[in-house]
Amino acid sequence: MTTTTTTDLYSDDPQWVDVTPIPQYDGINPVAPILYTDEYKDATDYFRGVLKSGEKSERVLELTERVIRMNPAHYTAWQYRYQTILALGTPLDEEITLMNDIAMDHLKTYQVWHHRRLILTQTKQAAQELAFLVKVLGLDNKNYHTWAYRQWILSHFSDDDLWRHELEFVDSMLRDDIRNNSAWHHRFFVLFEAGVRAGDEDREALARQEILYSKERISLAPNNASAWNYLRGVLDRSGTEYSSLAGFVEPYAGLPGPTASDADTIDTENPAPQPGARLPSVAALEFMADVYEKQGGERLADARKLWTSLAREHDTIRQKYWEYRSTAAGKL
Amino acid sequence: MFSSPSTPQLQRPGHVRHCKYCLFGLPGTQVGLDASRLAIVFYCIGTLDLLGLLDSGSKPHEREEWRRWIWEQYVVSEHGAGFRPGPFVVTAVDGEDKSRSTNAHDTPHIIMTYTAVISLSILQDDLKRLDKKQLLSFLRSCQREDGSFSTIPGSTDSDLRTTYCAFAIFKMLDDWSGIDIPRAVSYIQRCRSYEGGYGQYPWNEAQGGTTYTALASLYMIPEAVQSSLRPQARLTDVERAQSVRWLVQQQTEAGGFSGRTGKEADACYCFWCSASLDILGAGHLVDESAVIGFMGQCQFKFGGIAKAPGEDAADPYHTYLSLAALSLGTARGATLPDESWKLEPLNPLLNARTSVAEWAQAKMSNAQ
Ligand SMILES: [Zn+2]
Repeated sequence: MTTTTTTDLYSDDPQWVDVTPIPQYDGINPVAPILYTDEYKDATDYFRGVLKSGEKSERVLELTERVIRMNPAHYTAWQYRYQTILALGTPLDEEITLMNDIAMDHLKTYQVWHHRRLILTQTKQAAQELAFLVKVLGLDNKNYHTWAYRQWILSHFSDDDLWRHELEFVDSMLRDDIRNNSAWHHRFFVLFEAGVRAGDEDREALARQEILYSKERISLAPNNASAWNYLRGVLDRSGTEYSSLAGFVEPYAGLPGPTASDADTIDTENPAPQPGARLPSVAALEFMADVYEKQGGERLADARKLWTSLAREHDTIRQKYWEYRSTAAGKL
Repeated sequence: MFSSPSTPQLQRPGHVRHCKYCLFGLPGTQVGLDASRLAIVFYCIGTLDLLGLLDSGSKPHEREEWRRWIWEQYVVSEHGAGFRPGPFVVTAVDGEDKSRSTNAHDTPHIIMTYTAVISLSILQDDLKRLDKKQLLSFLRSCQREDGSFSTIPGSTDSDLRTTYCAFAIFKMLDDWSGIDIPRAVSYIQRCRSYEGGYGQYPWNEAQGGTTYTALASLYMIPEAVQSSLRPQARLTDVERAQSVRWLVQQQTEAGGFSGRTGKEADACYCFWCSASLDILGAGHLVDESAVIGFMGQCQFKFGGIAKAPGEDAADPYHTYLSLAALSLGTARGATLPDESWKLEPLNPLLNARTSVAEWAQAKMSNAQ
């Protein structure tokens, strides 16, 4: 990223005459040299000068900001900036305001978020961060660094107030995009991992609630791998047998199933596929095969039938995987 | 199994050209790579190496210059020795010694040290200039309380990528002394997610790249140490099955692998995910023809491989990793559209051509 606006060079600035710029030494035959802009060369020459003298001052904050805006991956500029802030006692809320601006331009740069972590470790103003992140996720709802930072804020500061509205937040993210795996992951993090609070002891009720939530989302989008992975996560974590969901899953796998005789009663526990849904769902076939495999014995043949249909028809890119499952079944 | 007849040839001359252009110089728009130049050099030299075109695609004096430049990044600091990403914070002026840290921020960097050692091994450097004791003390100084490693001494900037690079260096040195392995393992295990992959930090979403670094790290730990660890470092049968499931699930209809559930395929994840499967002994589950078809479409018209079909630029990172994925495929006996797709075999743990990995291990374990 280069600046297109021309900045005044430090080498022309009388306020910097007392600093000796140090040009980059790149040997006689530099390898993969970057054709720096004049602005970058100028700023980093002065930055090296400052590194050598050890100066920590207001103008160094301006200098490091200039370097960072041109190259947000310049980890030394960040590190030196942070040390300068601490040395000067710069108000940290001002730094956060500036970072809000820089983050918006460089969401995918690791250092932007790392610096923010360092500042937050000092200010501990976690609540306002969550609000800021809602805005950032509005720009890019799957940005890995942003989610990672939100998970850090929550787990690091972890007071009850901070967690209070997190489920609502996840709900709204999933309402906007039911296929957002980052949001599904975050939901698991909130309900089953770092977000578990004292008083949340009734894990069974929670598992029931989340199984129902997953079923409802699956009925809206039966081929959404994120929802199925989440459902599996909940079942695994709560020790719930996959077979207890067979009645729900069968229609998605295009199977009549043993519970079909009850199908004339509307079952709110087991929402049915919507008319026109693309079925069978690969994930449902896989799920039922897992159920049959676990049941073993004669059921293994039913599992193999499903794996074969996945391999040959419904999920051919994973043909080798389904064949492997079929071969491995019963041998473990 | 047949590859689609429309699969083009692997554009070897174009990929060599792309990497040589980058070694020659990068445009100002790439200034974001200033603090990771050595990694770019590794991807470029590695590309020539995997294609088997290092000798014919470069001149002896060029290789000599690359070697010399990489050694110029070797720095002995108060925390020990390793390689810096480039000269970007070197403050020595003409004639002054640059092999010693020139200011407090001029330190070695773990990821760059890993890429330097592999690059030098590709160039058949004897690595005699490496000071093993100093290198180990640098790595030790980077291990943090929680078991993770920071990229540079004294920083809090740590994630699984750094653990991987540190572990790869310990493996090559065949010396893990002074490292708290159980703590490092427990950090890795804390990064495991319910999906069966690993996130970048504890609690994060499963992601292909960090899953590779987690698994490769766990499976590089020497046997003798493995057996004494509780809980064990390697995956249980249940965990392994779950990870294999998640990894194969990342191969998309486009033929390539995605980095996270529900995302689009991206060339680099063809390496991260399929190498992970290899580590778990499940590399044979990859649909190789689909990967090759995808790669064919990722090739950029002016050389190099882009992250996805239709992108308007290629880069050395995606070029190298795509070829690394194809190397693994070749070794698994993939049906190749033609000879142009045949590549040299790769060590999936160290991410280097097999004989380069052997070279690195032989030279490093003998280092003084
Ligand atoms: Zn990529």
